[in-house]
Amino acid sequence: MRGVRIVFRREMAGLFLTPLGWVLFLLALVVNGLYFSTYVQVTGGDIGASLSLALGGGYPFWVIMVLFPPLLTMRMISEEARSGMLEFLLTAPIRDVSVIVGKALAATSFLALLMSTNLIYALICQGLGATLDWGHIATALFGTVLVSALFCSIGLVASTLTNTPLIAAFLGVFVNVVMLSMRYLEGVLKGFDPLVRESIMRKVDVLGHFQGSFVRGALDSADIVFFLGWSGVFLFLATRLLEARRWW
Amino acid sequence: MITVSNLTRSFGTFTAVDDLSFHLDKGEVAGFLGVNGAGKTTTMRMLTGFLPATRGSVQIAGFDVMRQSLEARKHIGYLPEGVPLYGEHRLREMLEFQARLHGLPRKTANQRIAEVLDRVELSDRAEHLIGKLSKGLRQRAGLAVALLPSPDVLILDEPTSGLDPIQRMSVRKLISELAVEHTVLVSSHILPEIEAVCRRVIILHKGRMAASGTPEELMREFKRESAVTLEAFMPDPTDAARLLATLPGVERVDQGERLGIHTAFKVHCDEDLREDVGALAAAKGWAIRELSFEKPSLERIFARIAFEVDSPEETAPADAPTTGAPMASTPILSELPIAGSAAPVELNVMTEPTAPTAPTEPTKIVYNLNPFDQGRDRDLGKPKSTGGDDA
Repeated sequence: MRGVRIVFRREMAGLFLTPLGWVLFLLALVVNGLYFSTYVQVTGGDIGASLSLALGGGYPFWVIMVLFPPLLTMRMISEEARSGMLEFLLTAPIRDVSVIVGKALAATSFLALLMSTNLIYALICQGLGATLDWGHIATALFGTVLVSALFCSIGLVASTLTNTPLIAAFLGVFVNVVMLSMRYLEGVLKGFDPLVRESIMRKVDVLGHFQGSFVRGALDSADIVFFLGWSGVFLFLATRLLEARRWW
Repeated sequence: MITVSNLTRSFGTFTAVDDLSFHLDKGEVAGFLGVNGAGKTTTMRMLTGFLPATRGSVQIAGFDVMRQSLEARKHIGYLPEGVPLYGEHRLREMLEFQARLHGLPRKTANQRIAEVLDRVELSDRAEHLIGKLSKGLRQRAGLAVALLPSPDVLILDEPTSGLDPIQRMSVRKLISELAVEHTVLVSSHILPEIEAVCRRVIILHKGRMAASGTPEELMREFKRESAVTLEAFMPDPTDAARLLATLPGVERVDQGERLGIHTAFKVHCDEDLREDVGALAAAKGWAIRELSFEKPSLERIFARIAFEVDSPEETAPADAPTTGAPMASTPILSELPIAGSAAPVELNVMTEPTAPTAPTEPTKIVYNLNPFDQGRDRDLGKPKSTGGDDA
């Protein structure tokens, strides 16, 4: 736990000290601002609906979710492996898993911070007299954090696989897209019994789990477990891969 | 402090480190020597637990680096090759990060940071960005980071690479100072450095331990390497060689090339016999140009191991003075039949050579060896006169 905290702190500082973090911040602000104003127009001034579109309902949200986590995590392992920093971290008196979890948490928190810039618009609208369902907003934001955690874990796995950050980023984006398109996997499973098909889908469908609950403002423990579980699986994989790297 | 037993590491079919065993006590400074690819870095990575060993085990401060990894790591300060540091951080931040990793309390950490910065002479750079530091400063910054937790064992992979000679000297001094409190393992391919710093040398060759011991022990083992070099003018070089060989303690005398009027000898002996050789020369009236003692440097031992050369003779010619340039530039000399190095036929050429221009008339060449005559302007390569008996 101590190790996680130390690595987390270092990675957060690293993200804010490198230009990449600020560039992503800028991009997120531009995209969020642009789409929020569009949503407000489309929904005819319904702030609550606009916010739920901005936090998971609309496609731009998923574009950010697919692209940004791999960009944040691409350097975390691969570049450190190349610079030798990994050698330093893995010989320091902290566990390998702390390194992975600390980095994943840092990327997740950074992304959560990016997405919570939507709250600025919510606050402004409230100041202008709109009545907002803060519970709904908080739930959507919580869901966003969970999705970020999942995609950052995937990004970390990609980063442990290669020493080239760019390849790690592409790999991460690819896997993220695959994770999101699980819904279309149903066609592949046509031969299966519908019940089996249904249970498989329920275990892999990221989009369905997200939009079925968090976007609607419902907090379902099954969905929370779904995201945490998958994040855990990928973090475990990343830790094992980090260990396996030593044998290459 | 460090116990390595039967350490082996293979990468596929390639064996980088092969059955390495050694032990270092507290306060020992050991140097890892080896050509590129000898397995130095791989060994160090295994010592720190970064690389798992294929076979064998490593114990640091009594902890097995693979089984009790975290405990062992607490006792290790490791400076990896290439000095990895976070370039976007300031030096102080990097040190604070290291302090946190090792769980130092804040107060102790601040105190230690000031200490190590002072030690590596970077106190004025604490607030500088690491990415902006020059290579030498970066190297020292890395050293500071490794030193910070005051580890029992310091493992430094090429700590002086990329440093200027003065910085190198200060790092060397630093390492010798550190030896008091820490067990230090340094790797380098720069031999004088290891020789200057380490009380124990481990020479790796192709992943195996080729030699181990103090520099003195190694030199004793390879003592055939030491020799006194004599370069002098004398009437009869072969006779001189015979005389030199009779000196007590001399094992063998190699008569080298003739340079101008001087002949070079390599007197192989265990100890420094310069005085004896000098006394002999004085007694015999030889005019000495060079008299020097060549210690069996680690470099030569190392070269022998690296090139797997067994006989010292094979390495000797490289060191023997072969510069024939002054000879060739002097026309008179080049005409003299003394170019050969030690052919017995030319034995008496020096005293009674035959001038090529007048082969029938024997001429005595007299060289001016009096330093007070004409001072430094005199040309030792040219005879003073080529006629008469005015010796």
